[in-house]
Amino acid sequence: MAAAGPSVFLLMVSGQVESAQFPEYDDLYCKYCFVYGHDWAPTAGLEEGISQITSRSRDVPHALVWNFPIDITFKSTNPFGWPQIVLSVYGPDVFGNDVVRGYGAVHVPFSPGRHKRTIPMFVPESTSKLQKFTSWFMGRRPEYTDPKVVAQGEGREVTRVRSQGFVTLLFNVVTKDTRKLGYDTGPSDTQGVLGPSLPQGLPP
Amino acid sequence: MAEVHVIGQIVGATGFSESSLFCKWGVHTGAAWKLLSGVREGQTQVDTPQIGDMAYWSHPIDLHFATKGLQGWPRLHFQVWSQDSFGRCQLAGYGFCHVPSSPGTHQLDCPTWRPLGSWQEQLARAFVGGGPQLLHGDAIYSGADRYRLHTAAGGTVHLDLGLLLRHFDRYGVEC
Repeated sequence: MAAAGPSVFLLMVSGQVESAQFPEYDDLYCKYCFVYGHDWAPTAGLEEGISQITSRSRDVPHALVWNFPIDITFKSTNPFGWPQIVLSVYGPDVFGNDVVRGYGAVHVPFSPGRHKRTIPMFVPESTSKLQKFTSWFMGRRPEYTDPKVVAQGEGREVTRVRSQGFVTLLFNVVTKDTRKLGYDTGPSDTQGVLGPSLPQGLPP
Repeated sequence: MAEVHVIGQIVGATGFSESSLFCKWGVHTGAAWKLLSGVREGQTQVDTPQIGDMAYWSHPIDLHFATKGLQGWPRLHFQVWSQDSFGRCQLAGYGFCHVPSSPGTHQLDCPTWRPLGSWQEQLARAFVGGGPQLLHGDAIYSGADRYRLHTAAGGTVHLDLGLLLRHFDRYGVEC
């Protein structure tokens, strides 16, 4: 009698929110959280985190470095709803209020190995010039009530945004039992580098 | 039945002359394919880039198909529109690309085109906006009636798609 195969596969993600490039802003911190489908559940690690506040240094003026660790393990029965990491970056404005500087989201890579992702960060924009001035003056910028909206496709068509920076993330992915369940995730791509302005990584 | 998961993002677009862009996307498959979970079409946010000229949408795509045959491999089709400060929309380009057929992560660049009208319509488009649009969206991803069209190039839509295949080796299919 054949042994029953596994019905659940595991996804372990470790890595870091490495750094950000926001040419116009300084003194930023970021929050991350994971968004996943109904068939997924985190089994270990932290689902959310807030980083330190980072500033530009005189030695390395173009980068804002967090080096903030990510460590989480999920279990699931279905790849639909594959986890996405949602990042929100905040910083002070001219008056000292904490305002949002960008939201971004990316799927956790699914082939085992090391992956670097650079994601664009965008903020919602007010439609009228008067509202833009009042929100600048009062320190209350348009922001999402729940940053998890950025990981969904529905309801995005009514939002106007402005993209104004990038965040670089590093992921190390390990999966268990995806092959036993019949899934083919393609070649595992070590040193894989994907992003809007970076060339594609080399095959193993 | 074999299953295909398409998990990724419509990252953004470059090369368009207008700057506040959004994209209406959809997926078209053959008769042997059935969409088990995910939305088949959608519309992205409108982005006005501050840095560089790439408009970023970061629109997630998560589709789960079950299939009985290889014909009609899924195609993603796009309509890129620009929105001005008054809220009027103008067509910037149509494009389509097939979902890749090998498992793993892929970076795709999809070129776009827009229909050119007569010289009077082109002049009107330059001054007032508007311009001809397709009546039936299926000319974007099918070749059947394309010979009637005269088009000009638009920009490029960029996607990061990951493909997960299940049970294809049971049926002897090599991808």
